[in-house]
Amino acid sequence: MAWVMDQPLVTLSDTAKVEKDKVLWEAEDLGGITEDNNRVPVPIVWLLLLTVLTAFAITFPLWGQRPNAAIYVDYVKAMDEPDVKAAKNDADAMARIVAKYRSGPNQALLERHPLTMDDLRQIAPQIKALEKEGVDLREYNVVGPDVVLANFEGNYRADGTRIRLQPWWDKGYTIDIFYVIAFFLGVTMTIKRLPPSTWQPVHGHEHK
Amino acid sequence: MNFREYKIGARMFGFALGGSMCITLFLPSFDFRSAVSTETALDKQLTAGWETGWNVYDPLMLGHNKPLKVLVKTDPKSGQPLAEATYAYVYNVGTPLPNGIDHPDNLGESVEKLSETKGQIGQKTANGTVYLIKHEGNVPYIENATATMGWTPDMVMKGASDSDISHAGAGKTLFVREGCWWCHTLLPEQTQDWQVFGAPPMLGDFNGESPTAFGSDRKAPDLLHVGSRNSSREWMMLHFFNPRLVQPHSIMPRFDYLWGKVDANGQKIDYAKWRTEYDEYHAGKRIDPPDVPMYAKNSEIRDLIDFMLSLK
Amino acid sequence: MLKYLFAKNEDIPAGSAAVYWGFSAIVWFVIGTGLGSFNAAKLAFPDFVTGSEFFAFGHMRQVHVHAVIFGWISMAFGMAMMYITPALGNTRLWSEKLGVWNAFLWNVGLSLGLTLLWAGLTSGREYSDFIWPIDLFIAVFMALPLAINVWMTILTRRTQGIYTTNWFFAAATFMVIIVFLTGNLPEFFHLTGLTEAYLTWWFAHNVLGLWITPVAAAIAYYTIPKVTGNPLYSHRIGHLHFWSVVVFYSTPAAHHLMSAPLPEWLKSFASVEGVLILVPAIAFVSNILLTMQGKWNMFVENLEIRFTVTGVLLAIPLNMQGGFQQTRAINWYIHGTGWIVAHAHLALLGFSTFLEAAAVYLGLQSLMKRKLYSLTLGNMHFWLLLIGFSIYWISMTIAGLIQGAGKIYEVPYIDVVIAEHPYMIARWIGGTLVFISNIIWLYNMWMTARVGTIVPVGRMPHEMAYER
Repeated sequence: MAWVMDQPLVTLSDTAKVEKDKVLWEAEDLGGITEDNNRVPVPIVWLLLLTVLTAFAITFPLWGQRPNAAIYVDYVKAMDEPDVKAAKNDADAMARIVAKYRSGPNQALLERHPLTMDDLRQIAPQIKALEKEGVDLREYNVVGPDVVLANFEGNYRADGTRIRLQPWWDKGYTIDIFYVIAFFLGVTMTIKRLPPSTWQPVHGHEHK
Repeated sequence: MNFREYKIGARMFGFALGGSMCITLFLPSFDFRSAVSTETALDKQLTAGWETGWNVYDPLMLGHNKPLKVLVKTDPKSGQPLAEATYAYVYNVGTPLPNGIDHPDNLGESVEKLSETKGQIGQKTANGTVYLIKHEGNVPYIENATATMGWTPDMVMKGASDSDISHAGAGKTLFVREGCWWCHTLLPEQTQDWQVFGAPPMLGDFNGESPTAFGSDRKAPDLLHVGSRNSSREWMMLHFFNPRLVQPHSIMPRFDYLWGKVDANGQKIDYAKWRTEYDEYHAGKRIDPPDVPMYAKNSEIRDLIDFMLSLK
Repeated sequence: MLKYLFAKNEDIPAGSAAVYWGFSAIVWFVIGTGLGSFNAAKLAFPDFVTGSEFFAFGHMRQVHVHAVIFGWISMAFGMAMMYITPALGNTRLWSEKLGVWNAFLWNVGLSLGLTLLWAGLTSGREYSDFIWPIDLFIAVFMALPLAINVWMTILTRRTQGIYTTNWFFAAATFMVIIVFLTGNLPEFFHLTGLTEAYLTWWFAHNVLGLWITPVAAAIAYYTIPKVTGNPLYSHRIGHLHFWSVVVFYSTPAAHHLMSAPLPEWLKSFASVEGVLILVPAIAFVSNILLTMQGKWNMFVENLEIRFTVTGVLLAIPLNMQGGFQQTRAINWYIHGTGWIVAHAHLALLGFSTFLEAAAVYLGLQSLMKRKLYSLTLGNMHFWLLLIGFSIYWISMTIAGLIQGAGKIYEVPYIDVVIAEHPYMIARWIGGTLVFISNIIWLYNMWMTARVGTIVPVGRMPHEMAYER
C-alpha cells in the first residue's frame, strides 16, 4: 500500500470496527486507564507516587551541601580558649577543639572535612577578617589554605548580586514541579486520545 | 477515518521533546553566556589556542599550529629588563586564534569590554601576534602586545631561551590524543576532594577552552593542579618513560614512544635494549634501572611535560 | 550479502537486511568485548603489551566503548527494526535494499571511525569521541536511512494501530538523529567552555536515554508477547513508559556534572528528573513481568525468554542505581569511581545486551527459518555472559566503593590503586568470560545458518527448541 501524501494516515479497518472504536473512545473513563486493558495494578500506582515524592525529597537542594567557612567559626573561636591553649601539642589542641563541637549542628560536615591546627591557623585570620566585614560566612568556602567566595550560582538578591549559598528552593527545583504536573496531565490526555486498538484481542470491559 | 489521534500523538511528542530541549538547552545557554572569564580561562585559551581536539588545522593531532607560551624577562622591543617577568603568548602567522579573540563575546561582558578597548584584541597584525594577560582592578583582560607595544613574535622568540618556552598548547593536544583523560580527571570535585587535589574549578574557568576534557572515570590522581604539587621535569620524565621507575604500584601505561626516534643528543634510542635491561632490573638481576634517555627539544614528550607543568 | 547491494529491491529476499545487520552485530560484539578484555588486562597488568602507541590503553579504551555501543548494540537494534517493524505492521520492510545498504554503510562508517579513534584522532569529548566528519556521516548515512526505513514501514503498514514497539522505534530513530546533530554542535560550530562540557554530557546522556534504553525496551515489548503468546499486559502502561522516556529521560543531562561548576539550578532540575527516570523504569519492568503471568516456566525453558527476562530483571538494579547515584546526597561519594563503570556495564552489558541478544537469536532463527544449531551452546552463551558480567559488575562496584572511600577520606591515591588491584584482575576475568561466550555465540549462529534444521512453514523456531 502506497503512502498517500494528502491523506497520510489512513486506516484499513472496516466501518464497523471504526464505529466501535469511536464509541469506546467516547465512553471510556479516567482517561482510558481502565479500558481495553488490564488495570494498572494498585501497587504500581503507589510505587509511581512514591517515586515522584522520593524524587523531590532526596534531591532537596539542601542535601549534599558543600562545607562552607561558617562551620569552622566555632573552631576559630575555640583556638583562643584557655584549655585549648594549654594543650601540650597541636594534635592535642585539635582533639580538644573537636571534642567541644562533637554534637553540634555541623558535626557531619566537620567529620568529613577534618582540619589540623596548622590549617586552622591559616584560615583563622581570614575568617576573623570576614566576620569583621559582616558578610555571611556561609557564602565562603575553605579551599586549601584560602577562604574564598563560593563558586556558586544561587538566587539573585534585590540588588542583582548572586547569593552564593545553596538556596533551599531554587529555580531548577521549581521548574521540576511544573514539569512533573504537566507530564501527568499530558500523559493522561494523550492516553485518552490515542486509539485503543491493539493487535491482540480485547481483554474485557466490553462496551456496546 | 483519518487518525486524528496520531496527529495528536505526534504533536504531543513534539511538545514533549521541544519542552525538554527548551529547559535543558535553551535556558542554560543564558547562564553559559553570562559566565565571565577568570584569569585561568584566559591563560588556558591563550596557551592552548583554537582547539586541542581534532581539527582541520592539525588533522593528525601532532600538536602543530599551536601557540607558544614564553616567559619574557626583558622588554623584547627596547631590551630593557621588565619590572616583573611576564608570560607572553606567541601566535605566529597561520596559528589559529583562540575563541576569545575570534569571538570576544565568549569572554564575558567585563572582560570583553576591557580586552577590546584597552587590550585592542580586535587589531589585525600582519606578522603574527603576541598576547599578554593584564588586569584592571580585579578584572583580567587580554592585551594584543603587538598592537599596543609593538612586540612581534620574532622579537619575543629572539630574547627567550629554550627553558623559557612552554609548548603546553601542543601538550594539551597530546593529552587528548593519548587519552590521558580516560584516567586522570581535570576536575577536583566541588564537594570532597579538593584538600588533596586542589581547588575545584570556577564557573568562568572554561571560557574558550575546547575540549574541556574533564574526564569521568578517575582511575588515577586528578591533574588540574598537578604542576603545583610536583614541578620536577626529571620526575615527570622518569614517570612518563616507565611509571614503575618512580611508583612501583602504578598502573599507568608507559609513554616511552613519545620520545620519538632520537634523544636530546641526536642518538638513536634503543628501546629494545632499554626494555631488556629494565626487565633484568625488575627481575632483580641489576641493581639500577637503565637510564632514561633525555628527550629531544622537539619531541612530543616535551610538549606533554610542558602541559603537565602548566597545570598550576 | 554484498551481492544484494546492486540487486533490484524486488529480487532481495525478505529478511536479508535483518540477517546482514544481525551477523554484523555479533561480529562487532566479539570485537568489542575482545577489546574490552584486552583493556581490562592492561589495567590489571600495566606492562602487558607495552611500548606501542597502538596498544596503549588511552588509544583503545574508546574503541571498545564505541565498538560495543555503535557496533554491537546499535546494529542489533537495526536488526530488530528490520524484522520487528514489518512484522508488527503485517507488511514487508519498506526497502530491503536500503536496509542492506544501510548495514553496509554502518559497517564502513564505524570501521573508519574506530580506526581514526584508535590512531588517537578524537574530539576529546567522552561518548562523542568521533571527529565531527564521522559524526555527520553517522547522522546522515547511518542513522537517517535506518529512520527512513522504519518510518516508511510503519506508514505503509497493513494494521490499524501502531504497536508499542513501533512507537519506540519510530521515536528513537528520530531522536538519535537529533541527539547526534545537537550534541555535536560544539564540534560543528566550535562552541567552547561550559557549553562544550555540558553538551558533551547532554549527548552522552541522551544517546543512552533516547536511543539505547527505549529501543532495548521496545524489543522486549515484542519478544515477550511473541514468544510466550501472552498479550502485552497493558498498553496504557506502555504509553506511560513511552511518554515518560521522552519527558524524563531527555532532561537530566546535567546530573553527569554534579560536581562540576554548572549553574546550580540546572543541577537541581536534572537531579529531580534523574530520579524520575524510575517512572519509565517501573512502567516497563512491571508491564513486562506482568505479561509473563502464567508463562514463567518459559523463563527456565526458553532461551529467548530467559535472555529477555534476565535483561528486564537487571533493569531493576540498573534504575535504582541510576536514579539515586546522581543525587547530591550520593553523588559526592561515588562520582568518578569504578561504581560508575559498573553501572555503565550494567546498562549496556546487563540490561541492554540481554534484550538484544534475545532479539538476535529470535530474529535470525525466524528469518533464516532455521532452528538454533545447538541449544547447549546457546545455554553456555547465556551462562558465561551472565557469570562474566556478574563478576565484572560486582568487582567494579566494590572497587568503586573503595575508591569513593579513598576519595572522601583523602587517602593517598596510590593506596587506592593498590587496594583496587584484585578487583581489576576479577574485572579482567569477567570481561574475558564475556568475550569467550560471544565467540561461542558467533560459532553457534554461523552453524545455524549453515546446518540448522529447517523450520517448517507455520511453526516458530522456539516451539521446536526441544524437538530433534
